[in-house]
Amino acid sequence: MTEPPDGDRVFREEVLPEMDAVYRFALHLSKDPDRAQDLTQESFLRAYRNRASYTPGTRARSWLFTICRNLFLRGEDRSQRHDEIVAEVASEDPRRISREATVFLDARDRDPEGAFWDQVVDEKILKEIDALPEEFREPVVLSDLEDLSYQEISQILEVPLGTVKSRLFRGRRILQKRLYDYAISTGLIAAPVADLEAETSEGSA
Amino acid sequence: MKWIEELRRLLRRVENEGPTGSMAEDGMEGGVSCQEAAEGLFEWLDGELDPERAAAVGDHLETCARCYPFLVFERSFREALARAAEEGSAPEELQDRIIESLKAEGFEAGG
Repeated sequence: MTEPPDGDRVFREEVLPEMDAVYRFALHLSKDPDRAQDLTQESFLRAYRNRASYTPGTRARSWLFTICRNLFLRGEDRSQRHDEIVAEVASEDPRRISREATVFLDARDRDPEGAFWDQVVDEKILKEIDALPEEFREPVVLSDLEDLSYQEISQILEVPLGTVKSRLFRGRRILQKRLYDYAISTGLIAAPVADLEAETSEGSA
Repeated sequence: MKWIEELRRLLRRVENEGPTGSMAEDGMEGGVSCQEAAEGLFEWLDGELDPERAAAVGDHLETCARCYPFLVFERSFREALARAAEEGSAPEELQDRIIESLKAEGFEAGG
């Protein structure tokens, strides 16, 4: 039996193990299992044909994500909505993101350690991530689900580091608020006293 | 280093004003203010700060009575996301299909 070519060995050892991650990413992009399968297969085919451009020992995952995302975008109508969201995000200064920007202040009297986050089921978290606008969903998926660095995300999305930060922080903030509201509505955390008082007075009116 | 100088300056202040003086209100643990620590928290959790800044922000977040609960809360949120991330793998039939299509391109699966 002959040894496979060296490029094939690198591909087998460093690139193929990312199949699950690429499939998950494709699923978050397309929200369609059939399309995600096609994107994943096509991504690996492209990657193999261009394996000479991969540097062994670097992050195969971010290289594959770039290929996958480009394939996905090729089939998308990236219309006006994209420009509107980018303009909105670009106006936000990431330095302004502080404790006031999270639900921490709302929740700290009832659950200061955020224990209720443990009770939110994975399915709900993934569903809310998929419900984020695309510009926020991508950095959240790449950072929080796939553990990529800001630099890697910047390269994949082809945007500056500052934009990655502001979209990521904004996306997390939206996600956190939605999951917090869900936690209140399902009783995982008690509603704020002010809300309860409002309900009571409405009920007695 | 700038933060060490800042810390020394604050220690001199606390010697004069006592532990209930303005330093306690400012919360300068680690040589950074609560505001700076809060602004750096997300990047700190992401491992994106340079080592010196990470040490200062981390010291503050883990020792400041006001900021520590914020850190715990945000960390719990991030852990929930990381847990959800473990869900989902490529279907076996897809994995087989990919290997077959690669072989058609000349890929040698080997070991």
